[in-house]
Amino acid sequence: MTRSTPQGRPAADRLEIRLAGSGGQGLILGARILFEALAVEGRRASQSQSYEPTSRGGFCHSDVVVTEDLSDFPLVTGLDVLIALDQVGYDRSAGLIKPDALVLVDESIATGPAGGRLHRLPIAARAVATGSPRIANMVALGAFVALSGLCGPEALAEAIRRETPEKFADLNLAAARAGLSLAEPLAA
Amino acid sequence: MTARLTALHGNHACALAAVAAGCRFFAGYPITPSSEIAEHMSHALPRAGGVFVQMEDEIASIAAVIGASLGGMRAMTATSGPGFSLMQENIGYAAMTEVPCVVIDVMRGGPSTGMPTRPAQGDVMQARFGSHGDRPVVALAPASVQEIYTETIRAFDLAERLRTPVTVLYDQVIAQLLESVAIPPPEAVKVAARKWANGAGGFQPYAADDDGVPAMARPGDGHRVHTTGLTHAESGFPTQSPAVADRMMRRLLGKIDLHLAGIEKTETLATEDAEVLVVAYGITARAARRAVTELRRDGVKAGLFRPVTVWPFPERALLRAAETARAVLVPEMNAGQLVLEVQRVIGRAPPVRPLGRIDGEPMTPGEIAAAVRELARHA
Repeated sequence: MTRSTPQGRPAADRLEIRLAGSGGQGLILGARILFEALAVEGRRASQSQSYEPTSRGGFCHSDVVVTEDLSDFPLVTGLDVLIALDQVGYDRSAGLIKPDALVLVDESIATGPAGGRLHRLPIAARAVATGSPRIANMVALGAFVALSGLCGPEALAEAIRRETPEKFADLNLAAARAGLSLAEPLAA
Repeated sequence: MTARLTALHGNHACALAAVAAGCRFFAGYPITPSSEIAEHMSHALPRAGGVFVQMEDEIASIAAVIGASLGGMRAMTATSGPGFSLMQENIGYAAMTEVPCVVIDVMRGGPSTGMPTRPAQGDVMQARFGSHGDRPVVALAPASVQEIYTETIRAFDLAERLRTPVTVLYDQVIAQLLESVAIPPPEAVKVAARKWANGAGGFQPYAADDDGVPAMARPGDGHRVHTTGLTHAESGFPTQSPAVADRMMRRLLGKIDLHLAGIEKTETLATEDAEVLVVAYGITARAARRAVTELRRDGVKAGLFRPVTVWPFPERALLRAAETARAVLVPEMNAGQLVLEVQRVIGRAPPVRPLGRIDGEPMTPGEIAAAVRELARHA
């Protein structure tokens, strides 16, 4: 059985997004929620993950490639978006950032030269103020959605409800709203 | 009823496909990056009326799978490189005793414990030659979550059809990749029924029909059966006769050739006038696909040949795809394994070059494209 394609079609438009940091920060869940939020709006993506054999700590990243071509390469080749929650996540991903990429990092992170689309926000501090240091991933997602407009806040909220345990839904949704309000003034 | 789209990780898709294919027995020993298969089977099988057993190790796991299959069930195990090594002797036993079963090997960095959470394609030759002696080998290498679903079902179909173990090889990247998958309705899932003996007297458990595959005795039907890894005659009992051993071994190996058309599966992209042919499988084929697409846009005549079935290696399909090639590139996440088979098939010309990656990182479209450009300049 042989399937043939006569000529290579041009690759569909792609958007490559990375959540980076350390194991235990909920980066893989964050990317899964982003995947689901896109699905809520009828868009397709691939979500991959890379981690080290420790349950806490160690460089971890989870990537979302938004593309309509399901046979396309599902991993990132150059980042259109980097969301970094700690220094190791930023440092190990910096080489992949495209010149005009949207870079969203916690305020604690030392970054390279600040381009027009670099945003350093108090993500971890806002998470703590909202109720837990462990919801920094949700704060970051809220801020990203406000800055990028990739999907609507309602789609994000729906994805959070689908992908997280019910008993944490209110906390996670509050964290996403905190991120949205943190970044909304900057998006204008 | 049409297929419904759902978002699945590769390992989850594998478990769902196995259950859809009628698998009702899983024995395994969890190992990264295959563990989610066992996890999902532990939930799904009891609900489907099946049996899930976490065994003490991989040797016992494949042994239990063989026993369950002899007992009449569709059975599967899942592991990664180190566990696949432990299973090799019993995979040979299943091949020799002609017991249908499916072995999923999610490849990770090796050798030894290697890099458990990192992808690799280092088990391609283990799948072919890991067990001692000559044996029939079928191994499938899906490249996407969708294909993990379809190839796992096909693995069960081929295992039943050929009465032999079938290996599905994929890597950490697609094992833990989340993609949209079209799940076919149950009536669209086709897996061959086991060829049972008809209950007539004078039953010879290893006497094959014209298709090279002997009928199997269903337990309880009253057939007298002897199952042994020793070289055996049609009766199932051991033999020392050179003539019988030769006849039985040639039939065992030959049943693959008899069914080649139904086993082989390949995909090509832009091969009809390709000057540089890329031969790639699994996740690396998707990097190669993107590289070929970009190279074509830049006027470089590149093409892609992707074996979905890696063993038996689809020789004639490769030769057809390579007709216009002046160079062949074989990128893989190992130090050069399937490239040896490609070199054997292609022969002296055109030149076949390996492109290996053994640092635990997946191959990128950029590095494949750069290697193709280099070959195109000198070809």
